[in-house]
Amino acid sequence: MTKYSRTNKIKFQFFALMLGLFIFGCESNDPQKEDTPELITKATLTFTPEGGGAIVKVTASDPDGEGVQDITVDGAINLASGVTYTLKLSLINELAEVSSPEYDITEEVKEEGGEHMFFYAWTDGIFSDPTGDGNIDNRDGLVNYQDEDAGGLPIGITTKWTAGAASSGTFRIVLKHQPELKTTTSSVDTGETDLDIEFEIIVN
Amino acid sequence: MILSLLHTFGYGQKRCTGVFSGQILDERGNPLIGAAVVLSPTGKGMVSDVNGNFELNEICEGRYTVTVQFLGYNQRVIELLINGKGKTEQIISLQPDVQTLHEILVEEKVAHLETTQNYAVLSGSKLAETAGKTLGESLTEISGVNTIQAGPGIFKPVIHGVHSQRVLILNHGIRQEGQQWGAEHAPEIDPFIASNIVVVKDASSIKYGTDALGGVVIVNPAELPEEAGIGGTLNFIGQSNGRSGTASGLLEGGIKNHDGWGWRMQGTGKRSGDYHAPDYSLTNTGIKELNFSGAVGYHDELKGFEVFISHFRTELGVLKGTAISNLDDLIAAMEREPPQSTESFGYDIGEPRQKVSHNLLKLSAHKKTDNGDWRVQYGFQNNNRKEFDIRRGNLAGVQSIDLKLNTHTIEAEWETPHEGINSLCIGVNGMYQNNNNIFGTQRIPFIPNYSNFSGGIFGVAKFIRNDWVFDAGGRYDYRFYNAKGFDFKNASYNETLTFGNVSVTTGATKQIDPNQTVAINISSSWRPPHVAELYSLGTHQSAAAIEYGLLLNDTTNEVMNIKDVPFKIERALKAVSTYKRQWRNIQIELSGFVNYIFNYIYLRPTGITGNIRGTYPYFRYTQTDAFFVGGDLMAVWNLTNRIKVTPQVSLLRASDVTNNDHLVFIPSNKYELSVRFEEPDQYKLKRFYVESKLKYVAHQGRAPRVITPRQIKEASEQNIKIFSGNNDSFDFMEAPEGYALLNLSTGFSINREKVRYDIRLAAENVLNTSYREYTNRFRYYADDLGRNFSISLKCNF
Repeated sequence: MTKYSRTNKIKFQFFALMLGLFIFGCESNDPQKEDTPELITKATLTFTPEGGGAIVKVTASDPDGEGVQDITVDGAINLASGVTYTLKLSLINELAEVSSPEYDITEEVKEEGGEHMFFYAWTDGIFSDPTGDGNIDNRDGLVNYQDEDAGGLPIGITTKWTAGAASSGTFRIVLKHQPELKTTTSSVDTGETDLDIEFEIIVN
Repeated sequence: MILSLLHTFGYGQKRCTGVFSGQILDERGNPLIGAAVVLSPTGKGMVSDVNGNFELNEICEGRYTVTVQFLGYNQRVIELLINGKGKTEQIISLQPDVQTLHEILVEEKVAHLETTQNYAVLSGSKLAETAGKTLGESLTEISGVNTIQAGPGIFKPVIHGVHSQRVLILNHGIRQEGQQWGAEHAPEIDPFIASNIVVVKDASSIKYGTDALGGVVIVNPAELPEEAGIGGTLNFIGQSNGRSGTASGLLEGGIKNHDGWGWRMQGTGKRSGDYHAPDYSLTNTGIKELNFSGAVGYHDELKGFEVFISHFRTELGVLKGTAISNLDDLIAAMEREPPQSTESFGYDIGEPRQKVSHNLLKLSAHKKTDNGDWRVQYGFQNNNRKEFDIRRGNLAGVQSIDLKLNTHTIEAEWETPHEGINSLCIGVNGMYQNNNNIFGTQRIPFIPNYSNFSGGIFGVAKFIRNDWVFDAGGRYDYRFYNAKGFDFKNASYNETLTFGNVSVTTGATKQIDPNQTVAINISSSWRPPHVAELYSLGTHQSAAAIEYGLLLNDTTNEVMNIKDVPFKIERALKAVSTYKRQWRNIQIELSGFVNYIFNYIYLRPTGITGNIRGTYPYFRYTQTDAFFVGGDLMAVWNLTNRIKVTPQVSLLRASDVTNNDHLVFIPSNKYELSVRFEEPDQYKLKRFYVESKLKYVAHQGRAPRVITPRQIKEASEQNIKIFSGNNDSFDFMEAPEGYALLNLSTGFSINREKVRYDIRLAAENVLNTSYREYTNRFRYYADDLGRNFSISLKCNF
């Protein structure tokens, strides 16, 4: 190879590199819309009475996600004294497509039961079973969990409640994400919070 | 410190009857006999006589370079102006060629410094002693420089209280363009690349563009070799804290029979595991870093060109215990010690973590002609930043931030020939930048995509009159942004913004007598707002706070046009004065500054919002007037010819003038005292030294009020709007107590044929003191670093 053509080749490679860099540097910057599966915009609580009767449903929603608008709750939880209810939680991300696996967060939490746990707190006396005020301020407080993860620890998507004497108060639900942290003693202070909502509750 | 003594009594006809004379002194002021003095480009030279005196005759008026060499002492190179008629006198002190703290004070020929006198240099052994640390951490050796920290691996330089967008970093003469908008984003530069690092404390380096409101950090490589031969260095550093190893090598040379050609290759690898505080491990704080660079170029007396490429890549773990979500999590984290998820030592880096890479290509050329010196350079930078949070489900391991920033810069400048007493430099620079969010994070991006076109034109002039040097400069800059992103509803927006304004600087340096100089600089510079300050939206994991940009509507949070917002350009008016003096055995350098920043952009607490995950305070980028005042003192006292005492003090006060309030995260006052014993040559051990350094960092008494997360939570529950009516800044936690750290080090060199081995042993935080640093963002979660032993070996061949 002559010296001349070698120089040309080097020149060509250099210009190819520069051109490549230029094209690389000038690519279009139209952003693509992301799905946002981590957002929970709606949490629905469904209390189904044992032996039939009216289903009680309340919803907390925050359509603006990271926006300044506060969370809204569509009313108080109205339960009938002495009745036992099965509570099922549903967490939805309305920003995702309904067909997308990221729409129903409840499913995802269930699949990763070993890393997630719901904690509950309420005004003492609202329920006759479980007694006490829940397991948020004290991990050992009683909650009737109806589901468990592969390791036998409770998850809390489904729970059971018997309303006590007529009274009123608050009902709070906290979902913690506890990867490699969930144990028999891990509490509401362990891990990261995925959900923390509070409702008014009235027992008639 | 002596800089130059210029006795120029007018400047008439060029008759080449000038006399250049003076005296060469050692570090204690005693005359040095037999030192070689060479005046280039005349080539004239002589050796100093028994009194250290020298005299060169028949010198024409003009600018010259004086080189002074004496065996066992560091070479001195001084540029000066020689009077064509009378006598020009110069007293030149040499410093012994031993590992010496002086070097921070010793004047050197430093590239990229045209006008300023308010600067400090980190070079030579002082720089070598920081080997193994990050760039930001190394810079804290300089008085007036602090850091904003996010754990043990992430340091951002803070000059006189300001950082990020307000500090310009030049790497090989190119503006470093990375993702510098976040407090947890450290500069992407391998510190081993530098042969010296200059910190300019005033805004006089307006050649490089806007953004130097607080100052400039200049990372300079050594010049490429011009003659045949090969040389290099190898560094190995081991540290007990983090059980880390760093290896760095450099190889350079010229090309036989091709004088003027030179090349260099350099690379660094670093691996660190979890660091530890005195009482516990800081889980997931490991570091993996791999950098390399290469340069080749040709230089002769009249022209030169250079191609430089570098690659920087790091992966950093972020303390696991900082992974929190809402205020309740923060309450728990602040009350918990050790942090959650603390495990025993490990090298694994899990979530949360960062992966950052930075590539640079630089092409530069210069040519000296009779009409002046011409310089052109082009730079291409490619920066990629990925941040991984702890996430749920099939998102575990998916990056939550993924940004690619490409920047092209082009610069051209012309300077008057290096003769005469007036000089002028004019130039233009342009930048095209493109920031892209890489699809796949499955989150609304924190900052939008944007493109940025910037252009600037500048002129800097310098005049020498008697023993005064005056300088003045001005520049105009224009910036265009096109931002395309998604708002809180995930609806797209597309906005175009333009900014344009001028910066001016003026300064003077007076040589009072051979041992005293005083310099003052006043500058007014502006900076365009960063896109992050305009459009940020989201929550930082570990911050438990939501941030909103300036252009998001207060109530609806929708993106607004900048014309509908009372936005004003941020502009600083900064004055810095430095006084340098040398007595027989004491050198001092004292500087004071005031910096008033109009329309200072900062995050102000604005309210509390609830979402499904719980309660969060939110912060909005807002503008205020901020005032910074402070001073730095550095002294070297040669107690005997072997013992050196070096006190260093940095004082700073900052306030929010508009709101009559304090600013958050302002470094507190810092005091250092080092005592160093040096034994230049003893048997086979050369350059032996032992040093003890005591550092005291005061409590920050001028911190904003404290509102604990618990108070915010309670207020929210009781529907009390704690920020309406009083949205003064606040902090979640009291500023930590002051602390004192003791560091010890010792080192020596061994010469083996042509190889010199420098060996150094050091212990930091010897007393294993538990402390928290106010400017470390992770002080809510964990103590700072415990005791660290390090050993370093450097081979120079």
